[in-house]
Order: sequence, then C-alpha cells, then structure tokens
Amino acid sequence: MIGFKHVLGAAALAAGLWASSASAETLRVLAWEGYADPDWVKDFTKETGIDVDVVFIGSDDEIWAKIKGSEGKDFDVMAVNTAQLQRYIDASLVKPWDLSKIPNQKDVLPRFRDLSAIKGMTRDGKVYGIPFCFDSIGLIYDTDKVKPAPTSMTVLWDPQYQGKVLAYDNGEHNFSFTALTEGIENPFHLTDEQFAKIKDKLVDLKRNTLSFYTTADEAMQIYHNNDVALIWANYGQQQLKALQKVGAHVAYVAPEEGSLSWLDNWAMTSGVKDQAAAEKWVNFLLDKKIGAQLSERTGFGNTVTASSNASDGDKLVWLESVEDPLKRSDLWNEIKAAP
Amino acid sequence: MSSRVADAGVEAPAAHPSPSRLVPWFAALAAYAVPIWFVLAPMALFLGYSFFSVDKGNIVFTPTVANYVRFFTDPVFLPIFWRTCLLCLAVAVLCVLFAFPVAYFLTTLRGRRRYVLLVLLLVPLLMSYVIKIYAVRSILGGNGMLNRALLATGLIDKPSMLFVFNLNAVLLTLTVLLIPFAVLPIFLSLERIPKALRHASADLGASNAQTFWRVTVPLSLPGTLSAMSFVFVLAIGDFLTPQMVGGQSGFTFGRIIYSQFGTAFNWPFGAALSVILAAVVIIAIRLGGRVESSRGRIQ
Repeated sequence: MIGFKHVLGAAALAAGLWASSASAETLRVLAWEGYADPDWVKDFTKETGIDVDVVFIGSDDEIWAKIKGSEGKDFDVMAVNTAQLQRYIDASLVKPWDLSKIPNQKDVLPRFRDLSAIKGMTRDGKVYGIPFCFDSIGLIYDTDKVKPAPTSMTVLWDPQYQGKVLAYDNGEHNFSFTALTEGIENPFHLTDEQFAKIKDKLVDLKRNTLSFYTTADEAMQIYHNNDVALIWANYGQQQLKALQKVGAHVAYVAPEEGSLSWLDNWAMTSGVKDQAAAEKWVNFLLDKKIGAQLSERTGFGNTVTASSNASDGDKLVWLESVEDPLKRSDLWNEIKAAP
Repeated sequence: MSSRVADAGVEAPAAHPSPSRLVPWFAALAAYAVPIWFVLAPMALFLGYSFFSVDKGNIVFTPTVANYVRFFTDPVFLPIFWRTCLLCLAVAVLCVLFAFPVAYFLTTLRGRRRYVLLVLLLVPLLMSYVIKIYAVRSILGGNGMLNRALLATGLIDKPSMLFVFNLNAVLLTLTVLLIPFAVLPIFLSLERIPKALRHASADLGASNAQTFWRVTVPLSLPGTLSAMSFVFVLAIGDFLTPQMVGGQSGFTFGRIIYSQFGTAFNWPFGAALSVILAAVVIIAIRLGGRVESSRGRIQ
C-alpha cells in the first residue's frame, strides 16, 4: 500500500515536472558559460515570470550540432559569434529580431548602435544578431623592455626584439592580422598574390619569434622563464590581467591598423516558441548593471558600458569566416617548416 | 521443467567434451577479437581513409593516391620527415648511452636494493607527461633554472640560448622523458647473461674491461637494440614535446599530422601521413627485434 502511494506520488511529481518543462513560459537558452549567470536568470524570472532553462556549450561545433540537429526546435535563443551566424542564416535556422521590442539596444555603446554597420549582423535589411559580448586581439608588451609604446603589430617584425616575440600558433589568424598590417582591405579573403606576400612576411615573423603558444597559461609560463618583450595576445584582456596579477610590467595596445575581434550575439532560432519571451530576455541582458557584471566576471567587453577591452577610438575588425581554412593551414605548415 | 532435467541428465555425459572443445575456441576468439577490433580495425580504417580526399571541408570517398603523391612530391614534407627520423634516432642513441650504465649498475646490486632502485627509476612514468614537459621547460628557459644557475656560478656571462625553444630542446626533453623506457629492456638483457660466462672469461685470463666489451656488451645487444627501437618509436609518434619546447624551429612530422586533424580538417591526408609513420615504426620494431631472433637461433 505504501509502495503504491510512493509510485503515485512519483508519477504525480513526474507529471508536474513534465507540465512545467512543457509550459510556454519557459525560455530555452543555449549560451556560453558566463552569458546567463544564475543571479541574472533569477532576476529575469522575478521580473517577467518567465522560467529559463540554460544549456551551456563548449564549442561552435556543438552549437551547430544542437541547433541543426533539432532544426532549431530545441532552443529559443542562442549565443553565436558573427562569423558563425552566417551559416545559420544560410540554413534558415534563425529568425530576424524586431528591434522595436528590444528598446535597450538603442542605448548601447556607439560602436554597436548601428547594426547595419557591423558586417554579418544583418541580411536583406533584417537584423539577425544582437551584439552582447566581445574581445579584441591586441598586443601585450613589456613596458620595461619596449620603449616607446608600440602602436602597430608591425613591431613584431622589429629585429631589435628578435627571439623575444611570442606569437600564436594559428595560421588563420596570423594571415588575417598580417594582412591588416599590409593595409589589405579584407584580410579574410586574400587573393593568391596577397597569399604569397603574406606568407613571406610570416616566414620573417617566424624568424623573429621565440615560440608559438596555444593557451594563455602556456604563454604565461614562457613569459616567466624567458626574456619576452612582445606577445600577440589571442586571449586579449584576460591574458593581460592574468599577467598583471602576477606582477608582470605589461600593457596592452590596440594596433592602429585594427585589431581582429570576435563578437558574440544573441540570435533567435527559427523554432522559437515564444518570441516575446526571447525579446524580453535579450532586452533584459542589455542592461548597464549586467553589462558591467559581465565584463567584471569574464574579462570580456560588453556592449552597454565602457570596458577596458576597447575604447571608442579603437578600430575593431570583426572576425569573418576565411576564404579557405585548409589553404591557410597548409601554408602555415609550410611557414613553420621553412628553414 | 522435468523434461529439461531429464534431457540434461541424458545429454550431460555426451555433451561434456563439447564445452571443453569450445573453451579454447572462445579463448582464441577473445584473444583475437580484442587486437582485431581495437588495433587492426582502426589501422585498416586509417589505411582506407588515406586513399580519400577532402573538398571544402567534406571528405570525398573516391579512391585516389593523391595524398601519397603529395607527400613524395611536395618540398615541405620529405625534409621534415627525414629531419624527424634523424632527431628520433639521436634520441634513441642518447637514451641508450644514458640507460646502459644505469642498467649495468642495477645488475651489480644484490637482492632487494636492486628492485627498489629499479622501481625508483620507473617512478617518473607515474607522472603525467605534460607536467614533465612543463617542468623541463622551466628548467631550460632563457631565464630558466639552468641558465640562472650557470650565470650565478659565473660559467657564462649571458643566458645561453643553446637549449631554448629549438631542436636541441626537443632532443633533450625527449631523451629525459624516454630514458626509463630504455633502462628496462637493457636491464632485462643484462640480467639474463649467465654469471658463469663472465667467470669463464675471467678464468681464461681476460681483464674486466675485456670481459665487459667482449662478453657482456655483445650478449646485451638484443636488449640494447630493442631499447633503441622502443625509444625511437615513442619519440617519432610524439607531437606535444616539439610543440611545447620546439619554438619556431622545432617543427616535426608529428606536428604536421596533428595539424591535419585539427585546424586543417584534412583527415585523409593526415591518415596517409600516419600510414607512412606506421610503416617507419614497423620497420624500426623489426630492426630492433631481428638481432634478438637471429641471436636466439645461434644460441
């Protein structure tokens, strides 16, 4: 008898859970760690009465697998970067936003106000992404060793710093940033001629570097045990702060030719159940307090309040998908194999 | 129920030999299934993939030898390949040179002390290999422990860059990491040499050095060579050490293969390069084992 009661109770509980997860008032969010912190979710639910289910992802491919796998039906909103957003638009897996429902977007930093000015954010006049979080790839330099302060990535080629340069082990980015130093308009789509020229430049860069790193921790360890003057800072402000924390005399420069930068956006899936809830979620997050907390907690830039990630005058070049990743990777191997 | 009992009663004596005949079959199946499923099948897959190609991030399943042609004709790959083979050979020779005296010393110890020391020598194998590379890196750096010590003693007046982020650093790190793998086979082969042979040599008037060079060393050769091939194989498959300590000049074949599976997303070409590496490894193991088997026949 007691057993039966238990079963009944469990069934009722299960039915209750089923009902709550199936209710229209639950927003299903797919985001990176740090983009939907529990305290924000709690405040959002308190303010709007909408429950939020957050699933965190670890890679771009994972987002694609989850969204493509369910044809957009398993989630309402997701965070993806500008370069990635394109394939979702191509596959009609995202829906355009109605900006009039997201009033806070009008008060964001000037750089993010005109969405048509950010490449990849709009298509056919419709807005598919709302910028939320970004960072730039700048230059970290040792203030004791590099004087005067550099203004451009071209300093990495300076023979004065031979064997004191830490570069990043990634062909795609290295071709792009070198193209920027050469004044090439679109560093993500190089012609064969430009490829040949940049390749030669990168062989020169290689000869000036001490080593290529892959993780921020690795760069830190190399910095500690070697005479390093310049670091190509793939991890931006996070990397700078980590170095400063352990007492390194370093500073950060956004190069004048432009810094490669990534930008994560909120996008609405084509399978969105409650469009109004999704709009409220994004509008809620574009708040000064949350923006400041985001930057403080993650070290990334937010789009609402000024952060150390970029000042208004810095030129940011939003990352795009490159013309041929395989070609860049093969050329990068050739560069590394060059004597 | 009852019929089944009856059946069992009737059949049991007759059926008795069949399970015992089946047992070796099952044992053989289990013994073959594991290597076939976990070793041969993946390697066959690699071989299969090496004949495919890639177009715009998608694998094209039409057989082609383009990957192999590319390896032999592209000026990038062969020089790196030979350089890597040479590097690993140097690592193997160095490891054996360091390991032999250690193994020899071990055989001179008696009883428990010998095995305690052997276990101590193998302790580094319990530690993660990445941590060891990090440790080596902080020793070798421009301001690393080694350079600071040398500066402090006044042996050098500015940091030496001889072992900092180059091929020498890769050589040194791999040697340090792989010495334990060389000690063991050499120790085992030295231990197997009957004491009587050495005593006989001494009785016939040979000096200690003569006994060592003309009895001990030749008899330990199979172990030494298998230690060399063992170390060579482990070194040539490594891709992390060159990445971590090789700097801009320590690019090796393992790094190229690694990049085909990571950033390049060219699995077929990576598979072809792996097949070539596997061929080298098989040759190295055969060479290491050959002396042993031919010696076995003489004895």
